[in-house]
Amino acid sequence: MREIKFVQAIIEALEEEMTRDETVFIIGLNVQADPILTPVRLVEKFGTKRLREVPIAEPGILGCGVGAALAGYRPIVHSRFVDFFMPAADELFHKAAKWRYIHGGKVTIPVTFLAGIGGYLGGGGPEHSQCLEGYIMHTPGLKLAIPTTPYDLKGLLKTAIRDNNPTVVLYHRILVGAGTSGLVPEEEYTIPFGQADIKREGKDVTVVATGLMVFMTLQVADQLQEKGLDVEVLDPRTLEPLDIETILSSVKKTHRLVIVDEDTLRCSVGAEIGMQFMEKGFDYLDAPIKRVGAANSPIPGGFMECYALPQPQDIADAITEVLGIKESFQVKPLELLKPGRHMGERLGYGKKEN
Amino acid sequence: MDLTKEQKIRLYTNLVRVRKLDETMVKALLTGKISTFFHSGEGQEAVGVGACSFLREDDYLFPSHRGHAISKTLIKGLPARIILAEHYGRITGCCDGVSGFHTCDMKLGIPGMSGTLGGHFPLAVGMGLAAQLRGKKQVVMVIEGEGTYARGTFHESMIMAATWKLPNLFIVENNQIMGNTPVKIIHPKDDFADLGFGYGVPAKVVDGQDVFAVHKEVQTAIDRARADEGPSLIECKTYRIQPHAVGLPDTLLGRPRTQEEIEVWRKRDPIKLAQKRLLKEGVLTQVDIEKIDGGAANEMEEADRLAWADPMPTDPKEILKKALYAE
Repeated sequence: MREIKFVQAIIEALEEEMTRDETVFIIGLNVQADPILTPVRLVEKFGTKRLREVPIAEPGILGCGVGAALAGYRPIVHSRFVDFFMPAADELFHKAAKWRYIHGGKVTIPVTFLAGIGGYLGGGGPEHSQCLEGYIMHTPGLKLAIPTTPYDLKGLLKTAIRDNNPTVVLYHRILVGAGTSGLVPEEEYTIPFGQADIKREGKDVTVVATGLMVFMTLQVADQLQEKGLDVEVLDPRTLEPLDIETILSSVKKTHRLVIVDEDTLRCSVGAEIGMQFMEKGFDYLDAPIKRVGAANSPIPGGFMECYALPQPQDIADAITEVLGIKESFQVKPLELLKPGRHMGERLGYGKKEN
Repeated sequence: MDLTKEQKIRLYTNLVRVRKLDETMVKALLTGKISTFFHSGEGQEAVGVGACSFLREDDYLFPSHRGHAISKTLIKGLPARIILAEHYGRITGCCDGVSGFHTCDMKLGIPGMSGTLGGHFPLAVGMGLAAQLRGKKQVVMVIEGEGTYARGTFHESMIMAATWKLPNLFIVENNQIMGNTPVKIIHPKDDFADLGFGYGVPAKVVDGQDVFAVHKEVQTAIDRARADEGPSLIECKTYRIQPHAVGLPDTLLGRPRTQEEIEVWRKRDPIKLAQKRLLKEGVLTQVDIEKIDGGAANEMEEADRLAWADPMPTDPKEILKKALYAE
């Protein structure tokens, strides 16, 4: 095992899969020029046809991914901003998701949509700060992974590229920008979809968290430990398929459940996980489930962003509430948010990487 | 390159086959055998037949919904029985009865049919990219009604296909009516072919009633695409004889369509035009014409009989489950 940065895990997964299978190619804005995601080395190794630079034309870009996949290729469509998938809703939610089904399963669409998600970038506003996993999980026909560590990201991205279905892999922009790192084996590995990972063991309460919320919850959990609260943090890693069994067995032990997801609260991933849990695990609960998510509003820009996005204190308060603790334990803001004075730096630009 | 006698007969025969299948499907809808709808393509046969009769099996084809794509898919090689069976919900349909009316057969290079109009364009560019990477000189043809050429997807696709010199063909089947609206009130110019200019894509206007003219222009574009010279745009002027969908009121902007206009276009029926030419050239005799007509009628009658007799899916839930995700 060696320690590598989050972005390095993306690059390694792409490079290994492009080397392994010549039908794999990348298409997206700035893929020949992104200073952190696609180093010049990749362009030199694979050529401009396999790192396909595009105009600003999202339906065209995502549609190209679906079309090339229909023709037997394994394209990876990349966007630093998942928000920009919205102009291509027809291509993502209709063509990629429904085309196989409506044609009786006669075609396969092995395309991977890789995109950055999330806010906390210094206030990117409503069209540069979203996660959108709720829309994607809502749409049958797509698979969905939200890895949060370099290890999970590399293993799940490689699995996604090899999957014969349209697969969405979302990475949090802050995790790239802040240069978070983690242990990753030298040797080849993949991680199957549908296996949750317990990121922190605890016996008092289960917190199911996705994306950046895993990091936020882990830091909150460490601070609550000092108050004697033992928090289990569970990362589903993939939302379709969802490993509800691991969530059930965790709550069977802790009897309390908090769900933290950065997306808008209404009709969110948290709502879906919570309801699936209620149908199967109501008897395990000693308190109502509590959800933490973004406000039911667009995400404001600039310094107002923090009033819409979930904060560590919201997570701490939800945990104490399901434990029936009246007192509020004050916790610190997320440490990852400190580096970078402006949005460009928080995205990872402006300093030399790799 | 001039067409051989056999090729001319093939084009003519295909026109007649498409017309007979169209008639079969209108009848099927009116007698309750089709539960969805049918958008007859009567009078527009020459566009699909002229464009698709000499495609390679490994070429890709995205057909428009008009006539439920039969003037393209039947010609690309999809048997009438399979097209009808899909409409009848039979297990022998091209999508195991799941689609109702979408057509798909990857072995014939038909990747499916979009529900949203204009949804094919970017997919076709993606297939063009794949074809270019594969290097086997495949072409990718999209044939869409003129109404869809307002979609941003078309304009994005033209930029990408032209920049990358992809082997794409964009064919406008201009039947002049979009639903119940004359297209001239929602488009600024007379010719859709003019759209090619801004993208540097060679574009032509062709008489869409003349199957030989359509074929000639499309073949030139196919040759360019196979020679890695990039995409082309071809506008085929034709006319919709039937209402938007069978059984719907035949109105334009809320008023009944004038029969005079329809009659003008009926006189330029693509089958009649081709017949006249081939009789004059001595390629066909009246006896040949009757024989071709009878042969096509028999083909469609038999296809209809067999498709209707084909079994319904015994385990529809299992079929639907398998359709959702690939292994």
